[in-house]
Amino acid sequence: MANNNEKKTPAQQQYDKMNQKHEIKRPVLKNCLRAFFVGGLICIIGQAITYFYIYFFNFTEQTAGNPTVATVIFLSMLLTGFGVYDHLGQYAGAGSAVPVSGFGNAVISAAIEHRTEGFVLGVGGNMFKLAGSVILFGVFSAFVVALIKTILIQWGGL
Amino acid sequence: MKAVVYILAILFLVGCKMPDDGPDSRLALIKTTNPEPIQIEKDGASVEGIRNEVNQVDEIYDAAVIKGDHNTLVAYKVRHLDRFRMKSIEKELKKHLEGKYKDETFVVSSDYKIFLEAVRLREDIDSGKINDKQADKRLHQLIRLKKERT
Repeated sequence: MANNNEKKTPAQQQYDKMNQKHEIKRPVLKNCLRAFFVGGLICIIGQAITYFYIYFFNFTEQTAGNPTVATVIFLSMLLTGFGVYDHLGQYAGAGSAVPVSGFGNAVISAAIEHRTEGFVLGVGGNMFKLAGSVILFGVFSAFVVALIKTILIQWGGL
Repeated sequence: MKAVVYILAILFLVGCKMPDDGPDSRLALIKTTNPEPIQIEKDGASVEGIRNEVNQVDEIYDAAVIKGDHNTLVAYKVRHLDRFRMKSIEKELKKHLEGKYKDETFVVSSDYKIFLEAVRLREDIDSGKINDKQADKRLHQLIRLKKERT
């Protein structure tokens, strides 16, 4: 930062000072609280769906995870289509993006954005523009974690 | 179009029939139930003794025991903050029970579903809906469900 300032002309430095003076500070604590509560609420809904599958269907705690994830993604896709999830995202930020429902939102919002370009090259080609990186890094980190676990079990005797 | 939506909604709602649960199993997932143990196979160790052994473990607060022809199923709930060490509790409990009752084969599970089904089985036996043979069959189905991974 100091190096950057040295390179700047006096006029640029003066502009930076003025900018800092007028910049609206981000309400970090407020944003964190909103994200915490909305994210927690989404998780409560997910837990309720898990209990629903355990109670009414033949799923155990372990196997109920998959249909629960699918249901939460489906609901967030519907809410994105109806325009509700956008408002939630604006209000809660990471609280709505980090849970798995954010994945559904990323898929559908990209699809809606590119639907004017046609179904194949528009919707089909751009649907995973945002969510693609989630899948890529999710699969890759799962691979790395599985590799570490296998090594620990094989050689570490865990 | 509207008719199709109505038909789909009706079919969906018809599918959501409440199971015929008794007072215990209706709330078994959220409150302590402590169901009476079930002894389908009358020989061997007493189920009361097994349940007392399980209840003595500090991390466990609710236990259901079903003793069948070949296996004894122990389903239990773990205190919330101890759920981080669920696997080790399961391993320790199985080792402890198999050490104490050498002739028995134990299947232990901390899964809520297995606990709920054990409570439902208890209620069905109490109400006379099923006989010992059917109860043993249900126990085998439960053990198979416990082993399911996906």
